[in-house]
Amino acid sequence: MKAIKIKGLVKEFDGIKAVDDISLEIEYGEIFALLGPNGAGKTTTISILATLLKPTKGEAKVNGYDVITQASKVRHSIGIVFQDPSLDDRLTARENLDIHGRLYHMKKEERRKRIEEVLKMVELQDRADSIVKTFSGGMRRRLEIARGLLHKPRILFLDEPTLGLDPQTRRRIWNYIERLREEGVTVLLTTHYMEEADYLADRVAIIDNGRIVALGSPSELKDSIGGDIIKIKCGDANKMVDILSSNGFNAMIVDGEIMIKAKKAEKEIPRIFMLAKDIEIKSIMYKKPSLEDVFIHYTGKAYREEAGDEMEAIKRGWRMRR
Amino acid sequence: MIGDIYAVYLRELIRLWRQKVRLVTTIMMPLLWLGVIGNAFNNAFSIPFGKDFLSFLTPGILVMTMVFTSTISGITTVFDREFGFLKEMLVAPIKRESILIGKMLGGVTQAILQGVIIIALAILMGVNFKGVEAIPGMILTMFLVSVAFVSFGLAVASKMTSMEGFQMVMNFLIQPMIFLSGAFYPTKMLPSWLKVGVKLNPLTYGVDAMRYFAIGMNEFNVVMDIIVMIVLSIAFILLGGYLFRKS
Repeated sequence: MKAIKIKGLVKEFDGIKAVDDISLEIEYGEIFALLGPNGAGKTTTISILATLLKPTKGEAKVNGYDVITQASKVRHSIGIVFQDPSLDDRLTARENLDIHGRLYHMKKEERRKRIEEVLKMVELQDRADSIVKTFSGGMRRRLEIARGLLHKPRILFLDEPTLGLDPQTRRRIWNYIERLREEGVTVLLTTHYMEEADYLADRVAIIDNGRIVALGSPSELKDSIGGDIIKIKCGDANKMVDILSSNGFNAMIVDGEIMIKAKKAEKEIPRIFMLAKDIEIKSIMYKKPSLEDVFIHYTGKAYREEAGDEMEAIKRGWRMRR
Repeated sequence: MIGDIYAVYLRELIRLWRQKVRLVTTIMMPLLWLGVIGNAFNNAFSIPFGKDFLSFLTPGILVMTMVFTSTISGITTVFDREFGFLKEMLVAPIKRESILIGKMLGGVTQAILQGVIIIALAILMGVNFKGVEAIPGMILTMFLVSVAFVSFGLAVASKMTSMEGFQMVMNFLIQPMIFLSGAFYPTKMLPSWLKVGVKLNPLTYGVDAMRYFAIGMNEFNVVMDIIVMIVLSIAFILLGGYLFRKS
């Protein structure tokens, strides 16, 4: 059995396909990321899996239960942290958790114990009895993660868990998510931050316009677009290229530097040093392709993170007003 | 199911407790009605009512307070939608009905609490209630009016996407209902064409029942009053439930 199994999922809003024939399988214990720009269909997919939206076509199973016919069982199996804040900010942290525990039918003793556990996990024990209104954005996020985990779900959905948080807070949230791996929780997260998917996910599905354009582990995806680039500065460049070429390297001189395309640079670099022998190597560097390069490779368009999108939106707004 | 309703209700109670200042501030309006209007007309109008005006007015003000408080608390689900807590409840393994009933009971509790405070203040002002036997009937009427209008508020909230619609509902539906209910004056004082509005207004019967239980004065049959309120409550619960589930 898979933690999540999606087959031919389609969701239309007024004839527009927000999710367009997505199929996907996620294993138990995996941290899986749906990566894509705003409006790619990530949140819609999660909403369907969380039984908040009904799919137009296709089927989805979460923890072995069908999201349409066994919605209640699905809901018991999952925890979710929404993109938009969903805490009651007039309640204390503990009260928010307590109400959650009740909504998920946890017994009193179990609830009390587990609340302490999750508060400790996100380091909010000291603020347990403070009203949420006084919390910072990062603290609220942490509390929401704690709440999502309270009823010990096998699968946790995180919809843009670090959206709008400063880099330091983002790091901290990443640490908590990484720790979930040890607890054996399956995590499905959506993000439009490349480094987030790269850093956290075992596997990534890159989504664009409601379709999966690439799927694999971050390194597989990066390898799939043709490997790394190695750049060398050395004494006798021509001689070096000759040596490299005769040893099966794809090497050429660009602006006095030697450029080598390699499948795995870290494997090739020691060989290059061996071959160089008496040629002096002044510097050597290599660049791994990023997930951004992967996105560009598969969609043929540049990738804009939030800031870019916002600027676009503002510009569009201006144009429309005129 | 009971546990689920309680969880939703418990949250409403905690919120109510945190905002207890609001209980006091929202009591200002009914208090002004009783303290100023009630006392001002008390001597002038005492004879035609068979009772003093303040005692006549108090049940009407009670019903008015129930209607306002209940409608507003029903409408606060809009805030839940805006601030996302509704999602937290919708994704929990509980029935939609549990959310609805829990929220409804929260609104009713708030309204009845206000009613009780007003009754206490009215006694201090010298209003002559029937005595201890007035209490169950008054609570029953408060409960029915409140259930009806919390549900009404929920129905409105389900259809409303912004707070602007709120003013319209208050001015075009709630206010006319209160003014035509006989809350402030005996309806026989009205010209006959306005009496039609009074008879068609379900709230008229709520005010009549309240006045009967509180001070023993009524224009209609009390059993009919109660039946009208029960029918109204059920109708609004069904409407509110239907629209809430759909949204």
